[in-house]
Amino acid sequence: MDCQCCNKKPARVRICDVDENAIQEQYNVCPDCFALVKRYMFDMARPLMATDDVIREVQGLLGPADKAIALPDAAGAITPLADSVPACPECGMTLSEFKARGRFGCPRDYEVFAEHLDPLFERIHDTQPARHQGRLPAREGESELVTRRRKAAELKARLDAAVAEENYELAARLRDEINQQEGTTREQA
Amino acid sequence: MNDSAFENFPHVLGEWLKGGGPDSDIVVSTRVRFARNIKGYPFTLKATEQQRAEVLALCEEAIRKIHLQRSVITLELDKMPEVKRDVLVERHLISRELAGGEGPRGVTFGRGEMLSIMINEEDHLRLQWIKSGFDADRAYQALCKVDRALEKVVPYAVSDNYGYLTACPTNVGTGMRISVMVHLPALTMKDHVDKVFKAAKRMNHAVRGLYGEGTRAFGDMYQISNQATLGRSEESILESVKAIVPRILETERQMRGQLYAEDRSFLEDRVLRSLALLRNARRLNVQEMMSHLSMLRLGVDLGLITDVPMQTVNEMFILGQPSHLQEREGRLMNATERDTTRADLVRSKLAAHSN
Repeated sequence: MDCQCCNKKPARVRICDVDENAIQEQYNVCPDCFALVKRYMFDMARPLMATDDVIREVQGLLGPADKAIALPDAAGAITPLADSVPACPECGMTLSEFKARGRFGCPRDYEVFAEHLDPLFERIHDTQPARHQGRLPAREGESELVTRRRKAAELKARLDAAVAEENYELAARLRDEINQQEGTTREQA
Repeated sequence: MNDSAFENFPHVLGEWLKGGGPDSDIVVSTRVRFARNIKGYPFTLKATEQQRAEVLALCEEAIRKIHLQRSVITLELDKMPEVKRDVLVERHLISRELAGGEGPRGVTFGRGEMLSIMINEEDHLRLQWIKSGFDADRAYQALCKVDRALEKVVPYAVSDNYGYLTACPTNVGTGMRISVMVHLPALTMKDHVDKVFKAAKRMNHAVRGLYGEGTRAFGDMYQISNQATLGRSEESILESVKAIVPRILETERQMRGQLYAEDRSFLEDRVLRSLALLRNARRLNVQEMMSHLSMLRLGVDLGLITDVPMQTVNEMFILGQPSHLQEREGRLMNATERDTTRADLVRSKLAAHSN
């Protein structure tokens, strides 16, 4: 049997997902790909990932040319590396190096890899959209965008609380306020 | 290097180990940490030796400029021997990663050892504030003051979309991690720790053993911390930690009460055997010391032991660690020598309080 990651070398390692004392899923990979899988699974700095997500990440690392086997595409799965993503002009970090190390090389990477980051951040931080809602240094001068986003988040939190308390009158007012704000944001955009 | 900073290290401890503060029956300490990076420089991973030296100099200069009220100690770690760096790790002043790293890097900490600023860890700056007991608000406010002073003298790398930019995607946004160090002997004895882990994980918080590898936590010490740093404000992170931790404390207290009510002699037996062992052992390895100290701590909390203050228990946890013992003796020791010295230390600490 061929490796489910690279689909080239013979599979020598079997990874089993065990739940309630029964094997739920099995994946067969070659030792080289298993080395990559292990880095994702046992890196304590990373949040825990499901095995099929790890397999997909490793497939992504190997590039689209090698990607041949069929794991169903799940929502939030990282798209395979596009060769078109350039390396960071400042620190030289490439997307595949970033994925393998799990670390950025410099602040500029956040712009260079921007389109790949949101799904990653949404998963790591269990949030959507993956946008900052905390404070920023005073010297930067909080931008209007961040202020508005923070206000929207506050309104939403108050709305959730109102619904939880079954205070529907307040909830309705808050909902109108949120809709109005979103309208302004769209106009300005 | 400033050698005088080390003179008292093997003998006295930082203020956060005094054993006071809210919920100190279970919570040893609360730590708030911010990850920050300097604009215009690559993160430490991609920085050259020269750039790391510049970042170190820049940060040290910034720290001088903000006039921290209490006197601080600044150490350049690449010029220090390994055992002294490990002492700092055992005291929670620096991370294992910073101790074992390479190139120009340093740490500044206050004499009370509540504030610590690591330079050139994975991020250029890691600011942390530790308080005794469960006191996330005050630790956060204290750290904010330092952070806001620093942001005026050094430009941080930030973006509107992602907030504070960090080397690891798990820290981006607020860059804020709250870690609460808790002692959970009853939950451990009753085999309920796993359930707590899972419940916390569902609420986006991680629980892990503080000492030892994997699931085996020496001394029944665990660390609870927030996982998500992006998409919520600092206040909402504080609120979530303040919502989750009390539930864990409540469960631990219930279990302690149950153990006490169901089988008091079993509990007394374990606690008092541990005390007797610590009072008499001539050789103690670290793991053994920590597991008996855990029982001792539980005994002090339940009032089964009245002649040993909590501070002494906390002290032994740290002073009995390998590098502290070697620093105290002023020489490197093999494992057997350390076990003997550790037993001596514990006996003398306990003798000071025996009736």
